[in-house]
Amino acid sequence: MSSAAARRNSLRSRIWRHRHFYLFISPFFVLFGIFGLYPLLFSFYLSFTRWDGLTELTWAGLGNFANLIHDEVFFTSLWNTFAIGVLYVPPMFIGAFIFAIILNTTWLKFRAFFRAALFMPVVTPMVVVAIVFILLYGQEAGLINYLAARMGLQPIPWLVSEQWSKPAIALLLVWRWTGYNMVLMLAGLQGISHEYYEAARIEGAGAFQRMWHITLPLMRPIFIFCSIMSLIGTVYMFDEVFVLTQGGPGTSSTNFGLYLFNVSFVDFKFGYASCMAYTVAFFVFITSLFILRLRRSELT
Amino acid sequence: MLSAAGRDNGARLQTRGKAGIITRMAKRTIAGQRAAASVLLVRKSLWQCGTAAPGYVKGENTRSYSLCNTAEGGCATFSYTFSYRFSALLSALVFIGGSFAGEPLILDPNVPSTDLTGNIQVWGWNIAAASLEKLVPPFNDIYPRVIVHVNMTGAYLQSRFLLSLSAGVGAPDVSQLQLAEAARYSRTRRLTDLTPVARKYEKDFPASFWRNCVFEDKIYAIPWDMGPCAVFYKRELFARYRIDPGSIETWDDYIAAGRLLLERSGGQTKMLQLSTGNMEGLFEILLQQNAGQMFDDEGRIAVNSQQALRVMGVIQRILEAGINANITPYSHASYASMKSDLVATYPTAAWFGGTIKDYAPETKGDWGVFRLPAMERGGLRTSNLGGSVLVIPDQCPQKAAAWAFIEYTLCTREAQIEQYRNFDLFPAFLPTHGDPFFDEPDPFYGGQKVRRLFAQDIERIPPLNRTKDWFEALRYLTQSLSKWATNGMGPPEEFLRQLEDKLSRRLGRDIAPQAPLEGS
Repeated sequence: MSSAAARRNSLRSRIWRHRHFYLFISPFFVLFGIFGLYPLLFSFYLSFTRWDGLTELTWAGLGNFANLIHDEVFFTSLWNTFAIGVLYVPPMFIGAFIFAIILNTTWLKFRAFFRAALFMPVVTPMVVVAIVFILLYGQEAGLINYLAARMGLQPIPWLVSEQWSKPAIALLLVWRWTGYNMVLMLAGLQGISHEYYEAARIEGAGAFQRMWHITLPLMRPIFIFCSIMSLIGTVYMFDEVFVLTQGGPGTSSTNFGLYLFNVSFVDFKFGYASCMAYTVAFFVFITSLFILRLRRSELT
Repeated sequence: MLSAAGRDNGARLQTRGKAGIITRMAKRTIAGQRAAASVLLVRKSLWQCGTAAPGYVKGENTRSYSLCNTAEGGCATFSYTFSYRFSALLSALVFIGGSFAGEPLILDPNVPSTDLTGNIQVWGWNIAAASLEKLVPPFNDIYPRVIVHVNMTGAYLQSRFLLSLSAGVGAPDVSQLQLAEAARYSRTRRLTDLTPVARKYEKDFPASFWRNCVFEDKIYAIPWDMGPCAVFYKRELFARYRIDPGSIETWDDYIAAGRLLLERSGGQTKMLQLSTGNMEGLFEILLQQNAGQMFDDEGRIAVNSQQALRVMGVIQRILEAGINANITPYSHASYASMKSDLVATYPTAAWFGGTIKDYAPETKGDWGVFRLPAMERGGLRTSNLGGSVLVIPDQCPQKAAAWAFIEYTLCTREAQIEQYRNFDLFPAFLPTHGDPFFDEPDPFYGGQKVRRLFAQDIERIPPLNRTKDWFEALRYLTQSLSKWATNGMGPPEEFLRQLEDKLSRRLGRDIAPQAPLEGS
């Protein structure tokens, strides 16, 4: 008997000896296997097939990937995802940071009220939010355009024009997620020791210098965390777009999450959808690695 | 940001995976080992129940652990037994659930209707489901021992239906589908073949509808309602701005009337609601009215045609005249427009009447209907939009009861007329069209005999070929039209050529050979 076989043997007997413990920790692994690992592997397999969920599954080889390269809606959806991200992340970060600083001051009254008010959009169900925003955005009968007309401005076709659909979604996202980032940043601000500021004040540093040399550098880990959350959130965003515009008009607000949904659950092209999902997941994986590497090099 | 979106994605992946597992299980069991496997498991589990004494595992346990006592051993045995029991239960369930799949629908003519038993689940959406619900008491007068539950939740019905068909369990006994979807599901062979019992009704439905319910000469669906088209208009607005609906015969007349309306109302009232992002409905109405096609009989792309070019001409003239309100259909703004002076007409299908009655009941009496404008004087003045069918999934264990319900609701005059009376579902069942009910004035439309108007020329509506990827094609159409309208409406010839290319590429279909366009 070779040594490798002996080792395998002893491993097996050790597992057998401890089988009751394995049994007790098995529920997680069984559930993870069924609902986590199996779908992952099966959808990887699916990405090389054509399957509509009902008829026979056929092997497509790399056909789906070849299709993907020529799919203009796919690239439009990636571009839209990127554009929406660029439109909403900077204002959201700036707004969140400003609100966090205001809430962190000592002179503010009703602090708990403001904190709750700003966080409220995050916990409000998306469908309710969408109905309110659709009422606000209506071109002919929306509140925003009504007010604009009162002030003598031209009405804005928020949800019915290809140019305005992305800004409309970005505006909703800013409203919805500023509070979430504000809470994270507030926690970060409260974590900065007062001694730094006291020392700086004694040295004669002004408000701007204190912000530039103390607050911003010490907030960097929080900013990076918020960026990663926003990156992932932007790529897999679905409900906001789904309830507000369904990706329209045309493809002007179709982002990756919505396109994936359409391909899989409207067109029933599960093979192609898996191929798309795996391709994008691969790039998100690479980008996340890159950001993490960046972060590590900065921390050290 | 992450939480909501991430969760959503996870849920979707899981759904897909679950469907996969269940499908495989179902496939394997159906492959013939079903009975043997479940019997074996049941036996094993019974045997385990009987012999699940601590002694069974004791020998192994005591060798490894001094601490291990009979209690622990018993516990482990219990787990083993439990899992066996569970799998026995599961396979028994699959066995029971699946044992009727694939059974042909054969009716015993000797069984009187009062003896037929069943407990059937029906899926439908909003108005349609309400309409079926109302037919349950009269149905029970004939079939007192068939219990019917109508499940009125239309949200993503098609996705849920697909998943339950794929899984082999969980589908209702009877489901509503859009007519355009019937083609997609018929070819999956997961629906009950209705040919033996439904063949005799072929003559009773419009040929253009029946064609979408048949695949390889087998009948898989029964047409329910159809969507003959006309123009709903607001009487008061037409009177106020001195426009005679009787004078509108062609689409050019319609556009001219729209300009007049716009001018006389000072821009306050638009002729129709048409959002550039959702023009596929109007395109489909016009295309079918003019005998155009998206796909030819062999399923090749046939959208680049003379007919489609004329359709594009009408749409372009409407947009250029600026007589459309840019309102998304089925939005809050759209429902609100039924009650305000913003929109004067709605060129759409008969079922829209039910929507108006539902959302704006207080506008009763202010509505009128005139026939759909033709492309040229003397042309066909109707078309079709939408319509639905009822199907029986093949996994249904009580096919006779399910068929009894479908036959009563869709293939009898009284039931179809009730549905039209109560919910504006225009019957596809032709024998109803001769009924005096069609000549009764409808007070909602100021006493106009609208039903006769909708029924006129129905048999002349050209059939529209539908493929399994119809909805995908429609989405590309919507997107292309939106882009075309946004980018200043280029030449329609160029638009149709690009659309044809795109459809061919995305759907993997050939382009149909055709006569060259006039003038080119």
